[in-house]
Amino acid sequence: MNLKDCHNFSDFRKLAKKKLPSPIFHYIDGAADDEITYARNTSAFDDVDLVPNVLRGVEDVDLSTTIFGKKLDLPFYLSPTALQRLFHYDGERAVGKAAKKYNTMFGVSALATVSVEEISSLVDTPKMFQFYFHKDRGLNDSCLERAKAAKFDVMALTVDTITGGNRERDLRTGFTSPPKLTLSSLFSFATKPMWGINYLTKGKFELPHLQDFVKEGTSTNSSIGNYFSTMLDQSMNWKDAEQLCSKWGGHFALKGVMSVEDAKRAVDIGCTGIMVSNHGGRQLDGSRSPFDQLAEIVDAVGDKLDVICEGGIHRGTHMLKALSLGAKACSGGRLYLYALAAAGQAGVERALEKYKSELVRDMKLMGCTKISDLNRSNLRFRR
Amino acid sequence: MNINDCYNFEDFRKLAKKKLPAPIFHYIDGGADDEVTLNRNTDAFNDCDLVPNILNSVGEPDLSTTVFGRKISMPLFLSPTAMQSLYDPEGDKASARAAEKFDTIYSMSTMASFSIEEVANISSGPKLFQLYIHKDKSITDDLIERCSRANFDGMCITVDTLVAGNRERDHRTGFTTPPKFTFDSLLSFAMRPGWVFKYFTNKKFELANIKNKTDKGTNIAKSVMDYINEQYDPAMNWKDAEYCIKKWNKPMALKGVMSVEDAKKAIDIGCTAIMISNHGGRQLDGSRSPFDQVKAISDAVGDKLEIILDGGVRRGTHVLKALAAGATACSFGKAFLFSLGAGGQKGVERLLENMQKEIRRNMVLMGCKSIKDLDASKIIYRN
Ligand SMILES: Cc1cc2nc3c(=O)[nH]c(=O)nc-3n(C[C@H](O)[C@H](O)[C@H](O)COP(=O)(O)O)c2cc1C
Ligand SMILES: Cc1cc2nc3c(=O)[nH]c(=O)nc-3n(C[C@H](O)[C@H](O)[C@H](O)COP(=O)(O)O)c2cc1C
Repeated sequence: MNLKDCHNFSDFRKLAKKKLPSPIFHYIDGAADDEITYARNTSAFDDVDLVPNVLRGVEDVDLSTTIFGKKLDLPFYLSPTALQRLFHYDGERAVGKAAKKYNTMFGVSALATVSVEEISSLVDTPKMFQFYFHKDRGLNDSCLERAKAAKFDVMALTVDTITGGNRERDLRTGFTSPPKLTLSSLFSFATKPMWGINYLTKGKFELPHLQDFVKEGTSTNSSIGNYFSTMLDQSMNWKDAEQLCSKWGGHFALKGVMSVEDAKRAVDIGCTGIMVSNHGGRQLDGSRSPFDQLAEIVDAVGDKLDVICEGGIHRGTHMLKALSLGAKACSGGRLYLYALAAAGQAGVERALEKYKSELVRDMKLMGCTKISDLNRSNLRFRR
Repeated sequence: MNINDCYNFEDFRKLAKKKLPAPIFHYIDGGADDEVTLNRNTDAFNDCDLVPNILNSVGEPDLSTTVFGRKISMPLFLSPTAMQSLYDPEGDKASARAAEKFDTIYSMSTMASFSIEEVANISSGPKLFQLYIHKDKSITDDLIERCSRANFDGMCITVDTLVAGNRERDHRTGFTTPPKFTFDSLLSFAMRPGWVFKYFTNKKFELANIKNKTDKGTNIAKSVMDYINEQYDPAMNWKDAEYCIKKWNKPMALKGVMSVEDAKKAIDIGCTAIMISNHGGRQLDGSRSPFDQVKAISDAVGDKLEIILDGGVRRGTHVLKALAAGATACSFGKAFLFSLGAGGQKGVERLLENMQKEIRRNMVLMGCKSIKDLDASKIIYRN
C-alpha cells in the first residue's frame, strides 16, 4: 500500500499505521477511557440524513467561507495538534505548506515542534495559534507575544484540558515524548526503521514554544498527560480568558466549548469564535459529541460569533451536515494527521484534495453551489 | 499480564479469568437467562452524554459524600457479595481493608465467608451489612443483633432475591459451594493450581455468618441457588422489612427497588436509603437497568432518602452520570470482585485508586468543584 492507494480517511489511517512505531500511532489514534465519545463523534453524523434538491444548475461550486474575518477556500481547516514532527520529520512545515496551497487555516499547537517564527516565514495564509494556559505566566506572555509578532490571525484558548485525559493506549504503549524506548516499544520502533532514521537524522526534536521555560518535553521524558496535569493552570477561569482575549487584541476563540451557557459567556468576554469540541474524544469520555450539540449552540450564539464544529469528521458529507446545521466551518485533527504520517506534505495535500473533491461532488449532488445554500431544510433527523 | 497492567474493568476481568477456575469466574461474570439486563446495565450509560462547563477554576475537586450516616471519600462503594474467599483466601477481609484504606464502604453479604465479628475486628472503616430475610426468624434477628454489637453503620435488606435467578452459566459449569468437581470443571481447576493450592491450604470454606444456624452451605456440596430457594422467605413482605428496620434502628436501605411506587413505600416504612438495583442482572432478565430508572425515582423521592445506584458501573464517568441524574452514590459488585480475584487486597486497592482518579479527573474535566455541582443540567439523554 502506498499514498496513491489512499482514497479516504481509513486508507490514510491504515498507511499511517504501517509507517509509524505503534506507540506513536496509538497516540494519534487513541482516545480517553472506552473511546465511546471518540466513536460517537463520527457516528453522530449517521443519525441525520441529507435531503438533496434537484435541477438547480450546479456547474460551478464555490466552497469558500469566511471565518475570523479571513476568507478560506475550503469550509474546513486543520485543527492544532501537538508534536507533529513525531509523526513525520517535516511536521508543521509539511502541514503548513499544504494548508497554504489550499488556502485554508493552519492551526498551530502550543506544543508544536516548529517555531511560530519559522512557520510564519513559510506560510502567509491564515494561521491560528492554539494557546495553553500555563501556571508559568512568563511562559504565557512569551507564547502570546511571539504569536502576535509572527502575525498569527487567530488565537484559540484550549479549555478542555484542565487535566490530562485517561488515554489507556498510551499507558500500555508507554508513549512519551521524546519516545521512551521500553522493551515492548523497542520492537515496534525496530520494525519501522525509516521512522527511526528520520527521527534521528532530520534535526533535533524540540518544543520551541516551551523550551526556554521548562525541561519538560526536551531533555526529560514527559508524557502529554503529565504536561496537562502539572504545567497547566487548573484554576483557569473566565477572568483569565477575558484578560487573555483583550491582551491578544485580535480574533480570539475558545476551543472546547460544549454547553450553551458557556457559549453565551464566550460572547460576553469578547470571543469572535468557539470550537464546539471534545478534543477528539481524548479527554472526557462519555461527553457529548460536537455534532449532537451543534444546533443548540448555533441557535443561541450563531449570529454573534463563528461556531466551528470540530472532531469526528471523516467525509465531505459530514461537513455538509454540520454546515447545514449552522456551523461556519468544520475542523479536524486526525483527518490530516494520518496523511501527514503516511507521506508528509504530499500526504496532507492528497488528503485535502480528496476532501475538497468530495465536497464539490456532494454539493452538486445536494443541488448547492455555495456554502450559504446549505441550511436545515437539507437535513432530516432519524429519530 | 499482572495487576500493574490493569487499568480498567476489562483488564481486571481478563486477569481474573486467567486466575480463577472457570466455574468460579462464570459465577461472577454471568447473569440471568440471556444476560440482556446484565449488558444493558452498563450500556444504558452510553445513551446519555455529559456536557462539561469550562473555565471554572475547579482546582482540586471534593469527591466526598455522606451515605448511611457516614462521610465517605468518594461517591462509590463496594456492593455486598457472597463468598468472597472463593476469589482470594482473605476474601471479605481483603476487600474491607482496601475499602477502609480509601475511606469508603465495604458491604458484607449474609453469605460472606468471614463473620460479622471477624471483619469488625480488622476494620473500623464504614461498613454496611446486607440482610436476607430468612424463613427462620431467629436467624434474621441474630444477624441484626450481631451487626448492632459489631457497630456496623448501615444495613440493607435485599428484596430482589425471593427466588434464585436462572443463571445458566452456573448450570453448565456445575457451580456449587464448596466447588463440586465435575469432570468438565476438573480440567479448569487443574489448570489453575495456584487457586487450588490456596483454596485447600487456607481456612475451610464456610458461610461464616450462618454456620451455627444451619448445616447448609457448609458440609454438603450445595449450590447457592439451592440455598436461596430453601432458606430465604419468598413470603417476605413490607411488614417484615418494617420489623427489621425498627429492630435495627440505624440507617437502613432496601436493595433492589426498581419502581417509583416501591421507592415511595420505602419512605413510609422508615428507610433512609434505597439501592436501585437488579442484582447486577443476575435475577430477573429483561428488567430495567438502574441507570434508565434512576432519574424517575430521584425526581419522586430524591429529597426524602438517599439513592444508591447499584449495577453496571465500570467507569468514573458512569458515577458522574448517575449523580447528575439524581443518585447520592453508586456501588459496584463485579468490578471489585474481578480485582479481588486478580490481585487480592492489592487488586481491590488498585481498582479503587483507578476509580478515585477517574472520578477526580472527570470532575475536573466537567468543571465541577464538588459532587453537588453534578445536576441535571450536566447531562443530555440522546433520545
Ligand atoms: C495527535 C493529536 C494531538 C493533538 N494536540 C492538540 C494540542 O496540542 N492542542 C489542542 O488544543 N488540541 C489538540 N488536539 C485536538 C485537536 O485539536 C482536535 O480537537 C481533534 O483532533 C478533533 O478531533 P478529530 O481528530 O476527530 O478531528 C490533538 C489531537 C490529536 C489527534
Ligand atoms: C458474585 C456475586 C455475588 C453476589 N452476592 C450478593 C449477595 O450475597 N447479596 C446481595 O444482596 N447481592 C449480591 N450480589 C449483587 C451485588 O450486590 C450487586 O447488586 C451487583 O453486583 C451490582 O452489579 P454490578 O456487578 O454490575 O456492579 C452479588 C453479585 C455478584 C456478582
